[in-house]
Amino acid sequence: MEFDFSYYIFWTLNYFFLFYGLLLIALYFFAIILSSKSVATNKRKARFLQVNDIVSATDIPSITLIAPAYNEGQTIVENVKSLLALQYPFYELIVVNDGSTDNSLSLLIEKYDLEPFDSTFITQPIPTATVNKIYKSRKLQYKQLTVIDKNNGGKSDANNTGINFASTELVLCTDADCIIEQDSLLKMVRPYLEEAEQEVIACGAAIGIINDSIIKNGVVQELKLPKRLIPMIQVVEYIRAFLLGRMAWSEINGVMLVSGAFGLYARNRLIEVNGFNVHTVGEDLELGIRLRKHMEEIKVPYKMVYLPETLCWTEAPNSIDILVKQRDRWARGLWETMALHKNLFFNKKYKDMGIFYYPYWMFFELGAPIVEFIGLLSLIIFGLMGLINWNVAVLLFICVYLLGCIFSTIAIFIYVKNFKHYDSGKEVVELLLAAYLEPFVYHPVLVYGQIQGYYKKIFSLKSSWGNMKRKGFSSNP
Amino acid sequence: MEEIILKIIIKSLLVIMLIIYGSIAFTMNYRRWRKRRLNLIEETFANVTSFYLYPDPNIEPDLIKIQRTFRKIGIVPSKPRNVQYLIDLMIRTQRSILGENYLKLKTLFTQIPPYGASANKLGSKRWYIKARGIREIYEMNQSQYVKELIGLRNHNNIYVRREAQIGLIVFLGWKSLRFLPYLKRQMTLWQQIKIVEKLNDLYPEPDLFYLRKAYQSEKPYANELIMRIIRKFNIIEDVRYIINFLDNPNFDTRESAIYCISSFFLNEADLSEIKKKFYNISNIEQQLQLLKYIHKISNEIDLVFFKDLLYNGTDIIKLSTADILWNNGYKEEVQEYYYHQYAKQNDGEMVSV
Repeated sequence: MEFDFSYYIFWTLNYFFLFYGLLLIALYFFAIILSSKSVATNKRKARFLQVNDIVSATDIPSITLIAPAYNEGQTIVENVKSLLALQYPFYELIVVNDGSTDNSLSLLIEKYDLEPFDSTFITQPIPTATVNKIYKSRKLQYKQLTVIDKNNGGKSDANNTGINFASTELVLCTDADCIIEQDSLLKMVRPYLEEAEQEVIACGAAIGIINDSIIKNGVVQELKLPKRLIPMIQVVEYIRAFLLGRMAWSEINGVMLVSGAFGLYARNRLIEVNGFNVHTVGEDLELGIRLRKHMEEIKVPYKMVYLPETLCWTEAPNSIDILVKQRDRWARGLWETMALHKNLFFNKKYKDMGIFYYPYWMFFELGAPIVEFIGLLSLIIFGLMGLINWNVAVLLFICVYLLGCIFSTIAIFIYVKNFKHYDSGKEVVELLLAAYLEPFVYHPVLVYGQIQGYYKKIFSLKSSWGNMKRKGFSSNP
Repeated sequence: MEEIILKIIIKSLLVIMLIIYGSIAFTMNYRRWRKRRLNLIEETFANVTSFYLYPDPNIEPDLIKIQRTFRKIGIVPSKPRNVQYLIDLMIRTQRSILGENYLKLKTLFTQIPPYGASANKLGSKRWYIKARGIREIYEMNQSQYVKELIGLRNHNNIYVRREAQIGLIVFLGWKSLRFLPYLKRQMTLWQQIKIVEKLNDLYPEPDLFYLRKAYQSEKPYANELIMRIIRKFNIIEDVRYIINFLDNPNFDTRESAIYCISSFFLNEADLSEIKKKFYNISNIEQQLQLLKYIHKISNEIDLVFFKDLLYNGTDIIKLSTADILWNNGYKEEVQEYYYHQYAKQNDGEMVSV
């Protein structure tokens, strides 16, 4: 009787995994088609609105770049210098010192000749932690720089402070330690200039990995593939995620997540939804969903878009323990966000977002690590019980592995075809090898980190933000 | 049975992998080859242009020879991508050259291939080819195709109609604004910017007759475009047109109106009109922008207006008003307001102030 029950569970799980896997493969193939179309359309559109045209235009929307900084004394001066050098005619930079305990603020004051100005009657549409002082530079060449010194409230709170103080139509939220391409703002503003029927509420662009590359004066001088395997695999992961995932979503107006490291938003809409949620570590996804909900509720046609070009570079975790911490945090953020917006689940009121996009995130983003974990457990248990036909299992594994390799290879192909980074034969071969090693050396670590994050949420274990220790960018790696 | 099926699937997947590898290798090699080809076209074009613009006094430019040279490097109708590259080079060069050389260059471009390539694109079913054709027509100043552009001004593809409308501005100037009330489809911000820029570059003298004809337009994008034109050309006598839209129910129209009005210094009558409209604006951020503008252009502080905002505005407006009053020597008024608030809050406790 007991054996029969196990047998029943075994086959139920088998069919569940088969159905889940087939659905996922179908979605991935669909994503390839959509993203190829999206990348091609983007390229065609870009021909009609080139950066040279935008840079000389006079009526384009003004942008404020918000860079929250917490204890970034080692790199803050250089990073601000790089952010001040961006090409855009109407552009302000707000650096929010989020209660740093190091010398970040004094370094900024000294280097950029900052002076405090009167902030008696500051207006804050979004409530934030107390603002202590606001600084502006005495030097004309830094006139677009504002530094806000506030009490510590976290990254989201710092972003909200920047949104409050910005006086421009658009705000770009980024991290102070990101390297942004010089013409990125000119490219990011394109969707806002070109859209007529739907309001563009947020725009994101691909983010690249910059470990071991050569950086000079805050600009990527020479892009190199990371030397270590873990960050190299992340290059493939990012290419796949942005080029296949986000671009496909963008094609069907299904983008819910604009990365917190690099996202351009309409400021008025951010204020309407009260900015970033300071109570979650998945603030970027949460904001994306809340913005979409808001637009659905006020019944204004809208769009969240993604650009395929890599316009922002960041340092990826170099070691397994830092990677686990990062993915643990991302998993907690995802869990929190999904829980916060559970009313979207198959909710017709929110149209496609309620019927398709949110359930997709629930089943395949939040659910995937759980399914994988259960799969691993059942493989061990049913294997020990002698229920598994190992010949078929191995062949099935090879099939799934090859499918994964095909998806990564296609992502690399689309990247090589459309962009000029990593264009030497050696680099492409290295990327392909990294992609093929991913399921063995990298993916299990990810699943471990994600399950750890879920475990903390389920059992309400306290956990920190989980900041990664960065090696930092240097001119001579 | 399952094993056989799985083995077939694995073999098929391996074949797919090989095809993708082949595609990657082909793409990489093609890119290198293409780059060399484009460099060759660019080099030849640079040589021909410089030779034509700055000829050797002893040698007469031989157009037949030039045509043959281009044909030799692949500028033939069967290779449209090469032709396209040459056209792009021509446009780029023409944009950067002025004066007598500009006219010489135009003459040269009419006599070398490609011939009629841009006009042929107008017949294409693909939007990006059609739109590119229109752009080339106006960039290369081929005014003989203006009728075709008029026909495309309401095209269902946004890029095609945008380029057609910009083309009409290039060829017809201010006269083309008479089409504005008859446009049926949306206009993007970029389209508005481009139209204003082209008018400013090519027809810097405003023709108010045609501009005022366009005032009949009721579409929000047309209103926004007209406001931008009034701003760009600093047409102070028509500033009332902008003022009318300051409290428009449409957010974007209000946004454009506030942006456009901010470049004008107004008389007292207009200023008091703006102050009236201020109360009808539903968005606080836009109210704030307008408040800053009112303060900027006011010769002296209108105490009645500002005190009214201080006592009756929203919290954010109150703070900003307090800021303005405080920094303009009206500290007592601000203090009085806050004492008043304090007294109101503590009314129940009978605290005297």
